[in-house]
This record gives sequence, C-alpha cells and structure tokens, in this order.
Amino acid sequence: MPYLPVLAVKSAWNRRFTLSLVVVSIALSTVLLLGVDRARTSARESFSQTVSGTDLIVGARTGAIQLLLYSVFHLGDATNNVGWKSFQVIASHPDVAWAIPISLGDSHRGFPVLGTTPDYFEHFRYGAKQALAFAQGHRFEGIFEAVVGANVALKLGYRIGDRIILSHGTSGVSLVSHADKPFTIVGILAETGTPVDRTVHVGLTAIEAIHLDWNGGAPIPGVSIPEKYVTKFDLTPKTITAAFIGLKSRIAVFRMQRYVNEFKAEPLMAALPGVALDQLWEVMSVAEQSLLFTSAMVVAASLAGLVAVLLAGLGERRRELAILRSVGAGPWEILLLILGESVLVTLIACIAGLIALDIVTWLASPWIQSHYGLTLSTEPVSQNELVLLGAILCAAAIASAIPALKAYRQTLVDGLTPRI
Amino acid sequence: MKAMFVVVALLLALPVPAQAGNSNRQHADGASAKTAEGPYKELAWDELVPKDWDPSRRFRKLDLGSMKDGDERAMKMLEIMKEEWDSAPINASLDGRKVKIPGFVVPIEEQGRAVTEFLLVPYFGACIHVPPPPANQIIHVVSAKPIKNLKVMDTVWVLGELRAARYSSQTPMGLGAAGYRINSVQVTAYKEPAMVTITPLR
Repeated sequence: MPYLPVLAVKSAWNRRFTLSLVVVSIALSTVLLLGVDRARTSARESFSQTVSGTDLIVGARTGAIQLLLYSVFHLGDATNNVGWKSFQVIASHPDVAWAIPISLGDSHRGFPVLGTTPDYFEHFRYGAKQALAFAQGHRFEGIFEAVVGANVALKLGYRIGDRIILSHGTSGVSLVSHADKPFTIVGILAETGTPVDRTVHVGLTAIEAIHLDWNGGAPIPGVSIPEKYVTKFDLTPKTITAAFIGLKSRIAVFRMQRYVNEFKAEPLMAALPGVALDQLWEVMSVAEQSLLFTSAMVVAASLAGLVAVLLAGLGERRRELAILRSVGAGPWEILLLILGESVLVTLIACIAGLIALDIVTWLASPWIQSHYGLTLSTEPVSQNELVLLGAILCAAAIASAIPALKAYRQTLVDGLTPRI
Repeated sequence: MKAMFVVVALLLALPVPAQAGNSNRQHADGASAKTAEGPYKELAWDELVPKDWDPSRRFRKLDLGSMKDGDERAMKMLEIMKEEWDSAPINASLDGRKVKIPGFVVPIEEQGRAVTEFLLVPYFGACIHVPPPPANQIIHVVSAKPIKNLKVMDTVWVLGELRAARYSSQTPMGLGAAGYRINSVQVTAYKEPAMVTITPLR
C-alpha cells in the first residue's frame, strides 16, 4: 500500500497551518530538551578536560569542591592562603615529583590573574595529559612580564609587546589598579578550551612586587615604590593561594593527602581532583535531573497539543475518512494514516529542532566560551541526543494512538453514513 | 590499660583487608573468568601482602604486661607499627599474574566523561574517612579504553595483568615504596554474591 504515505502527506499538507504550529511547538520543546542535555554533557566534558595529570590540589582548609572550583576554575574566592614555607616543605616531600604554586586575587579587565612559577608551563596538563603550548612568544622571565591565554589575547586584541595594567580584586570593573607597574606581554598561549584561555599569567615575584607599597587591600598613601627599585626588596612570596602537586607514583596519593591534611605548621588540605569533580557532579545532579525533568514535561505538553490537534481534526476529516473507506481503505489503514501523520509531524519537528539547536550552539559557543570558559560540543548530533529524539518519536506514536484508535472506531461505527 | 587496649585493638584491626578478601574467597576456588586473552584467576586482597610480613615482629620481646599505663614505649610501638603498615612491602611473586580482583574506584584521570585511570582500593571510604590503605592495598589501574559511567566508590571487577612496580622514592621512614599496577583489559560492575545487586547509580 504505497498510496498510504502519499495520502497522509497530501492530507497533512491541506491542514498545513494548524500542523505547522504543532511542528513549531514540538520543535521548540525539542530544542529545550536537547539543549539542556547538551549543556549538561558539555559542562561535564569541559570540566573534566580542565585538569589532568595533577594528583593533588593543596590549599587552605575548606571543602574539596570549593578548593577545586577556585584553584582550577577561578570560580569563587579562596578562604585563606597557604604559607610559602609550608608550600616549600610539601614540595620537597620525597613523594612529590613537581609542585606548582598559584596565587590568585588580582585581575585584568575581568580576566583572572594567576601568579605562578615557570614550572607551571612545564608541568600543568589539561585534556588527555596535553601540555600548554605557546601560540606566540615564550614564558615570562623578568618580573613585569605576562603570558596571556588565547581568549584574553583574542578578546582584548593583545599582541606580544603590549603593555597591560593589572587591577586589584577580581571584579571586571577596576576601581583600584596597579597602574604604576605595567606588565609587558611576552607570550600568548594556544587555545586549550579550559579556564587557562581566560587567564593572565605572571610570576609569583611580580604579584609580590605590585603589592609592595600596599597594605590591607589599598595602596599606602604617599608611598610609591617605582618599578626599577622593586628588586631592592625581598620578593620571595609570603603566601600562595593553592598548589598543584604531581607525585612520583600515583599509588602514594592517599598517603600524601593525609600528610598534607595532618600538616602540623598550619591547617591545610589536599583534594584529589577526580574525586572532587565527582562530588561536584553529585551535587549538581539534582539540578541537572530537575532541569531534564522540566524539559521532558515541556515535550509532553507539546505532544499533548499534537494529540489535541489530531483529535480536533478528526471531526473535520469525517468525510475524508468516510470517502477513503468507500474506495476500499480498511479500518487499519485509517489507523495507520493517523499514526503516520503524527509521526511525520514529530519527525519534521525533531529535525527542525535539532537544526535550530545546532545553529544556536554554533552562534552561542564563542560567547559562552569567552564568558564562562565552557566549550560546547560542536558535533551536530550525539548518540545521547539520538536516543532522546527516538524517545520523543516513540512518545508521539504512543500518544497519537488515542486519535488513531478513535478514527478507527469512528470509521467502523458510522462509516459511510455520517449523521449530520 | 588504655594503651594496651589500643594495641590489642590495632592488632585485631590490622587484617581488615584480609576480611574483605575472605568473603570473596569462597568463590575464588573455581572462579576464573574466561576471556579472549585466557583465564584470569581471582585474587584476594590479603594475597597482596607478602606472607612472611609481620609488622609486630620487632616487638615480640616487648612485654606489654610489664608496662605501666600510658607507657611511652607502648605509644611509640604503636606509631612504629602504623608506619610499618604505611610502607608495607609488596608481594613480588604476583608480578605478571593474570588476575581478577574486585574493589572500589577512586578516579584519578578522566577524559571527557570517561575514566582512563583510577586507583582500586579494598574497602569503602578508603580515601576519605580513615587513614589511607598502605601501598600494597592500592592498585593503580590504567585502562587503554576510557570507561564510561564510572565514578567515585563504584564497585568493579578488574581483569588484567598485575605488575609489581618499584619506583625510586624515599618515604619519611627511609624505606623504598612500591605498588601494584594493572593495565586492565576489562572492568565490569561488581555484583554482590548474596543476591544483593550493587550497580553504578548511573
């Protein structure tokens, strides 16, 4: 019966206005459902890409999740600092292969400034143990030299040799700045798809130097130490925000963690990045599930709309169906006709929704990347999304069984003699 | 009295992983999984400790009865025993054996949403609540293929060749540390023998 699909399409085309509204409604709900799923998956992938090869993150005593968030993702603020001496003791522990100190708290036009040592470029890994690469330039060597992430350079149009001013505090609006001590950009990092792209890297000594004439979060009035004299002072850092630790053997990670947690000189903690990330997902999963549930409900609502339109359509299609019966269509064919129509409508809506979502993703991903450091997956459709689309189609087929059965019964009962 | 009680408690507590191993041993006899790469024999966690290793050997001569309460020597002994347990040696005879071992997962390396490297530990909460398991009760598992839907404290069976690896490090106690490693060929969800199913939540 090849005429059946043709008939279904032609009949649907005659009611194209009503049906197109249904298509729009289902397509929008598809965008919502797939969008939530895509954001969720991308966030996970992007987060787990951010840190690799680091065995422990050491910081002031706080929660593991918070330590991970502020040290790796630059989200939120540190609760306290780590003494430089403690860091050195931990870094010289025999199990430790490398240790990178980091110091946060300043910013440059909304981008976080990370004070660290050149070791950072040597040992820091992201994604599948990839090392940081330079798109241009080299590591910082002098005190007032900076290396910027790919996104910072792109967004602010920076090139090697440009001079930048750091501001005190992490807000995008700078009210107090370190204008007296500008930095020269000596390196631009290749894109990583991680928060590194949005970071300005300077030396720990530089962080110390720009705060020499500062006291209690403000410049000391009347005191200004010129750039050329900073080396006269002791620029050894007093404190750092956190440290990334790599171990010689990953087996030693629990022992090292306990060593840091029981550190006598000051209260410190060490977190395993993988474990902290999993804990974060555990917390987030409630929000994720409720978002997914809400969008599934929206899909259900739009499918209910489809059923309502089909049911209402049955009244006006009474003659059409009766004529079909008169020319030899069986009740089963009538049932299939209605079912086929709803599946067709949903299929078109799903495809339209997917295309719309891909366009939105494509348009929004640079913005999301630069504002939140979150890389959206760019593949047109993932396996998970295909499953969701299949579920929507199945739900549509099941829901439209109601109007289909009604049409089937109707044509059996009043067939060719509709009482008007 | 108190110190002695602690010592006795510790002595009793020492074979904790051994208990975990015992519950599996009833299956260990005949249980060997057949895969494409040959049979993998089930391994109990206490087999990872060398048979002749005894942390209290140095204190055989010490008479707890002759000590007074809160004796410093008792506490010292406890400290040293803990340190010995921390730097426990590995059972080198297991090197190269094809094993199948159950345990809890502590992910350390992830790729996308899949885990590529994790530590396998014998008892739940090993990493968080209590002093960590010693080096010979941790297995570093490296999977060639990323494993999806694996998270902290999932229970799994790991199949693969056990490697007893030494690395050059001096612990604070001055002992060389070593550890086990498995390049896994298969990681599957662990099911409790007694009809209670524990599967990953996701």
